[in-house]
Amino acid sequence: MKLFAKHNNVLPGFGPTMGYTLLYLSLVVLIPLSALVFKTAGLSWSGFLEAVAAPRVLASYRITFGAALAAAGINAVFGVLVAWVLVRYPFPGKRLVDALVDLPFALPTAVAGITLATVYSANGWVGRYLEPRGIKVAFTPLGIIIAMTFIGLPFVVRTVQPVIEELDAEIEEAAACLGASRWQTFCRVLFPLLTPSVLTGFALAFARGVGEYGSIIFIAGNMPMVSEITPLIIITKLEQYDYQGATAVATVMLLASFVLLLVINLLQKWSRRYAE
Amino acid sequence: MSIEIENISKQFGDFTALDNVSLTIPTGELVALLGPSGCGKTTLLRIIAGLEAADRGRILFNGENTTDRHVRERKVGFVFQHYALFKHMTVFDNVAFGLTVRPKSSRPSKGEIRDKVMNLLKLVQLDFQSDRYPSQLSGGQRQRIALARALAVEPQVLLLDEPFGALDAQVRAELRRWLRRLHDEIHVTSVFVTHDQEEALEVADRIVVMNKGRVEQAGTPDLVYDHPANPFVLNFLGNVNLFHGRTQHGVGVQDNRNAVSYVRSHDIEIDRSQQDSTSFRAEVKHVQKLGPSVRVTLVMDGNAELIEAELTRDAFQNLGLQHGEKVYVRPRQVRVFVEDYQI
Repeated sequence: MKLFAKHNNVLPGFGPTMGYTLLYLSLVVLIPLSALVFKTAGLSWSGFLEAVAAPRVLASYRITFGAALAAAGINAVFGVLVAWVLVRYPFPGKRLVDALVDLPFALPTAVAGITLATVYSANGWVGRYLEPRGIKVAFTPLGIIIAMTFIGLPFVVRTVQPVIEELDAEIEEAAACLGASRWQTFCRVLFPLLTPSVLTGFALAFARGVGEYGSIIFIAGNMPMVSEITPLIIITKLEQYDYQGATAVATVMLLASFVLLLVINLLQKWSRRYAE
Repeated sequence: MSIEIENISKQFGDFTALDNVSLTIPTGELVALLGPSGCGKTTLLRIIAGLEAADRGRILFNGENTTDRHVRERKVGFVFQHYALFKHMTVFDNVAFGLTVRPKSSRPSKGEIRDKVMNLLKLVQLDFQSDRYPSQLSGGQRQRIALARALAVEPQVLLLDEPFGALDAQVRAELRRWLRRLHDEIHVTSVFVTHDQEEALEVADRIVVMNKGRVEQAGTPDLVYDHPANPFVLNFLGNVNLFHGRTQHGVGVQDNRNAVSYVRSHDIEIDRSQQDSTSFRAEVKHVQKLGPSVRVTLVMDGNAELIEAELTRDAFQNLGLQHGEKVYVRPRQVRVFVEDYQI
């Protein structure tokens, strides 16, 4: 039995392309990650637990993953809205707004962090109106969510936008002819078609949020147990020459991210079940 | 449900899609809007549906003005050329959609919806496919699902936009015969758009021939085929030969005006000997066999004009025509249109 059926492909053969793929993935992703695990393995089991399950570290997981999920959720909703407006409505300055969406990609994260902290602090442009109403943003978990939302926005917009562009206008017309209201048309006809791309955008925004450091530490305030994110814990450990502790926490973070991304991928597959 | 179209005009920028079109579509009939692409037939259909708004004019359903009514409230079934099925829903959910989006007060119960959908799927002969997704069906099956979906809401009128346009020839022929039978069964007023004259002649009760945003002629298939109102209609419904000449002894026409005679290619007889004064000599130039019929291209003696004749295969074989052979050609039926009516 032949293992691989012969196909006529544009790219040169299965062998070389697969070889390159594996080489690249190994060099760029797998080898650094296995070094991480390897380094962690030098730790005893109790030492490992002590490093990854200390109350302060546990709190940082909650804050990091919780805030990243919340930010990705916010982006999923408003990112779809932004993408929809950019595709469906002509308005003056549309290209400018379109370019604006990519800005969080391009801005150095530290610049973003300092700017956000300034704007949302008690005497900042926005903070000065929020603070008297009892809404504290800077130096709280809320600030972390805002920073993560900022850096995650382009992911959802850019993954959903092309899908909205490809939506067939006739599908909406068909739904209207059948008596569906606008809301029903959106919820039952259009949104299910967008779901896979929204989930992709969500996953990317989430992953970015979990790994983000630069833009968060300025606005977070970094109070242990309250607004300290896991990447900061890792840095702190590194600064104290606790390399094994740092890699141990990183390994846990890596595993958790991997599981969450896997779950999102499965969800995505399920949402595309009709295409098979 | 009758449809009245009163003085409808529609402009897209500089392009006039519809120019003061008026038309009546009687209850229960299957009407074809026939014309070349860009003649405004699809625009007219979309205006009837409410998917497009006319610049001027009115649409009346059963004498009631529906011009400003939203497509949602018009109760029309619309079938799109490319099906426009909801690909993330099963066949069953697609057909049930129109019923499940109704407000709670008028929505049938789950059981009723199930019965109704299964009946419709039986009607379109696809009840065994109810759990499938559209991507798993063939083009013809998808279009039948689209039709069942449109019928589920019990539309007052059924509008079909080139419903067979995306299908291959055989499925197309099969499906249009099936549509005719279906219409005989359910009798809902139906309008379908096509650019295929054969399809219109075969399926429709009435044909509306359109050109450049206007209605050229409306009537039964026999009427538009046998008594075309003008050269365009004649030309559009089948192959014709043109003979230029001048009028003489015409009824109600001055003598010596330029006139064009039109002869359908199957109305041309070919003989070896001269029959009467209407015969003229021509030379066989080209023979093309098209399945059951044979198309013979001839060159007229004298003015070197080309004539196309369509014979049955039998007639062609009996004659045994050869290339370059001189024969006599006689038009069986001639229609004369005085010039200024140019196409």
